[in-house]
Amino acid sequence: MNVPRRPGWVQSRRAVQYLALAVFVGLFVLSRGGGVASNLANIPMRLDPLLVLTSSLAGRALVAGAVLALLTVGLTLVFGRAWCGWLCPLGTVLDLFSPKLRRGRRVAVPESWRKAKYALLLIILFAALLANQTLLFLDPLTILFRTLSTAVWPVLDQLVIAIEDLLYQVPGLEGPISSLEAAIRPAILPAEPLSYQDAFLFAAFFVALVALNALAPRFWCRYLCPLGGLLGLISRVALFRRQVAESCSGCPVCAPSCPTGTIDPDRGYASDPAECTVCMECLETCGRGAVKFRPGISWPEGRPYDPGRRELLLGLGTAAVGVALFRSDLLAKRESPFLLRPPGVRESNADPVALTRCTRCNECVRVCPTGAIQPAVFQAGLQGLGTPVVVPRLGYCDYDCNACGQICPTEAIPPLDLQQKQQQVIGKAYIDENRCLGWSDHQLCVVCEEMCPLPEKAIRLEEREVRSPEGETVSLLLPYVLRDLCIGCGLCEYRCPVSGDSAIRVYVPPLPVPF
Amino acid sequence: MTPPRPPEPQEREAAVPDLSRRDVLKMAALGLGAMAANAVLAACGSRSSTASLWPTSTLTPSAPPKTPTPLPATPTPTPTPSPTVNIPDLVVVRNGEPAALVRRAIAALGGMERFVPAGAGVVVKPNICVAYRTYEYAATTNPWVVGELVKMAFEAGASSVKVLDYPYGGSGADAYVKSGIQEQVQAAGGEMVVMSSRKFVSTPIPGGQWLKKTDVYEEILKADVLINVPITKTHGSSRVTAAMKNLMGIVRDRPTMHNRLGQAIADLNTLVKPQLTVLDAVRILTAYGPSGGKLSYVKKLDTVVAGTDVVAIDAYAATLLGLKPTDLDYVKIGASMGLGQSDLSKLKIEELSA
Repeated sequence: MNVPRRPGWVQSRRAVQYLALAVFVGLFVLSRGGGVASNLANIPMRLDPLLVLTSSLAGRALVAGAVLALLTVGLTLVFGRAWCGWLCPLGTVLDLFSPKLRRGRRVAVPESWRKAKYALLLIILFAALLANQTLLFLDPLTILFRTLSTAVWPVLDQLVIAIEDLLYQVPGLEGPISSLEAAIRPAILPAEPLSYQDAFLFAAFFVALVALNALAPRFWCRYLCPLGGLLGLISRVALFRRQVAESCSGCPVCAPSCPTGTIDPDRGYASDPAECTVCMECLETCGRGAVKFRPGISWPEGRPYDPGRRELLLGLGTAAVGVALFRSDLLAKRESPFLLRPPGVRESNADPVALTRCTRCNECVRVCPTGAIQPAVFQAGLQGLGTPVVVPRLGYCDYDCNACGQICPTEAIPPLDLQQKQQQVIGKAYIDENRCLGWSDHQLCVVCEEMCPLPEKAIRLEEREVRSPEGETVSLLLPYVLRDLCIGCGLCEYRCPVSGDSAIRVYVPPLPVPF
Repeated sequence: MTPPRPPEPQEREAAVPDLSRRDVLKMAALGLGAMAANAVLAACGSRSSTASLWPTSTLTPSAPPKTPTPLPATPTPTPTPSPTVNIPDLVVVRNGEPAALVRRAIAALGGMERFVPAGAGVVVKPNICVAYRTYEYAATTNPWVVGELVKMAFEAGASSVKVLDYPYGGSGADAYVKSGIQEQVQAAGGEMVVMSSRKFVSTPIPGGQWLKKTDVYEEILKADVLINVPITKTHGSSRVTAAMKNLMGIVRDRPTMHNRLGQAIADLNTLVKPQLTVLDAVRILTAYGPSGGKLSYVKKLDTVVAGTDVVAIDAYAATLLGLKPTDLDYVKIGASMGLGQSDLSKLKIEELSA
């Protein structure tokens, strides 16, 4: 019983999906040293209307390039959730990992769960009004890019290193490997392997999200995705929509082919335009040509899972209580002494812990050549999960680099020019004299002074007479920090030869003097 | 109308009890993934600044340890100069363009052919300590000095000339460009080599008194001829950085060396002995070294000093910065270990004008 197929639509869709995925990942890959300007490389973020809307609301300023998001909104007004079916890179990844479910094994997920994405969307929007973007953690683009930055790329780097190490033992391959290295580093992979704190958590989150596919194809898109929710709301008035013609015989072929399960046999195989991703699977499956995508303006029938007053109030309440909880958190009163933010972030965000304008996309993590910028896991609490922090022991802020501010799509990290960045205070270095080789062990070690990149040197040396444990008086050069000069780049902390924690550490900058 | 049912899982399992290729690949991928994750996790703690993370050891090179490569044909520093030619210990050339200074200095030492036999693989080691200073700031070796040496090495018949250093601030690739050295080296036909953490080889230092073993860059150990091209700078802990300290750039574990810097530098110089050292004093950094950052710290001397005795060169460098040779730990230690002559009055120094 071969169903005659009209080839073309599904294949075209797949081609577009893979192309879009390639472009999005390609821009991500080339965003560092690959010859793609930062304001091009971060275009994907600006195409995301949820990200642009919440960042503009929370930051109280329109995100630069916000007009790009109108392209997505326009696309949705004409074709419905085509973004989800055709362009969204996370959707494409989920399709790639979509198991072919046998009928008997499908878990019946209640239709009411579809409400969740609307609830999430409303919480996000209300929270944005309250200047909080914590849940943008769940935007599909930020999920994908964060996972690429923190888990996929470092793992790829480790695998490449392992394979190269293996091949390096083969005589005659040293030359080719060196050429390969020169070609891929630092353009595609980092010059030196980078480490990310607790990156497995971000990887595990992503794996869990993909694993939900086992319950239902595109589980994430159906039930959870807040961007899907936003586009779904717009899709209700979209111009093109799926229609079922009279010629439908009522056969059960199209319903199981629908990746979002929105074709309802009980309602004449009609679908909800807010759930349909215009993937065209049903169009090709139907042997009678009864499925059509045609212009037709009508208000869609209400569904039990549509968001209503309850969800609106719930969203408002959750956002208000959530934000209030964050503000009553310990971190809001006394921030972590090591909550170092990338250059200029403290000045451009109303809240240095929750980071008002940050969308958690972690593009900055990706472009930072030294691995200084890390996604926060615990330092900034739940409200700052995934926001960028500088961890000097893992990487220092390169004096000659301002890439993070250039790539940030929402100016949560301001686009400082190099000269401004070189004066921007990230933190202040303090020497732990109990651990410093010079101060405590009377050794001549002045690595920190040597490293300081500032023209005036914020770390200086003084000659001191000290009594050694043997009772001798010895003359030593000991480092001290000129706090007024220090910008907290962390090169001293990174290079300090003491094992474990550095004997010189960068702390959050002092509060500005209020006059 | 029901589509053909796929075989029941139980049937399949019963029929094909052994592992399919798919399963094996899956398991392999899982295993590899776990290994990679493990390496990533292991790396979350502190790590040595330059060590590769694979495998996790930071002391041994990431590539399987190779048997220590034979030491660079311990210099025998110079083939005994022909008695008719009266070659000085140090040549100091002043007043001229950097390239002309270099050419004049090498000529006075007997010509590049004296150091570079035909067909030799040459490595040139300038000082490219950071990626954020252009040459005007005198933090990195003058590009034209390096370029001219590359050119002269080829003229003498070198088969290849590689130039390398391992900056502590910024990446090698960036530093090569920023310093201007890459442009001049490539124009002269030389190759800029970005140093890879894979290529450090654990090497014993038989002559070392404190530093007995360290990871040295393979290209240095393998080079037929090593030319050291330091720049003259002040430096916090060693007071002056010139020739002997410049060799720290070829060692992986620099932090440890700081524990006894002067001794460690001298020990390293018993192992790695450049056949020729050319001290760049075209612009010298008189304050806030080694990276400087203001032109007011820079003094233009338009001078190049060349020789084969690193101790003598560093002793001379000290005087350029207003210090006595004996002010420098590693010069004193180096002289006492027989690495060279620190007493300038005992040296034959030829002073020239380019």
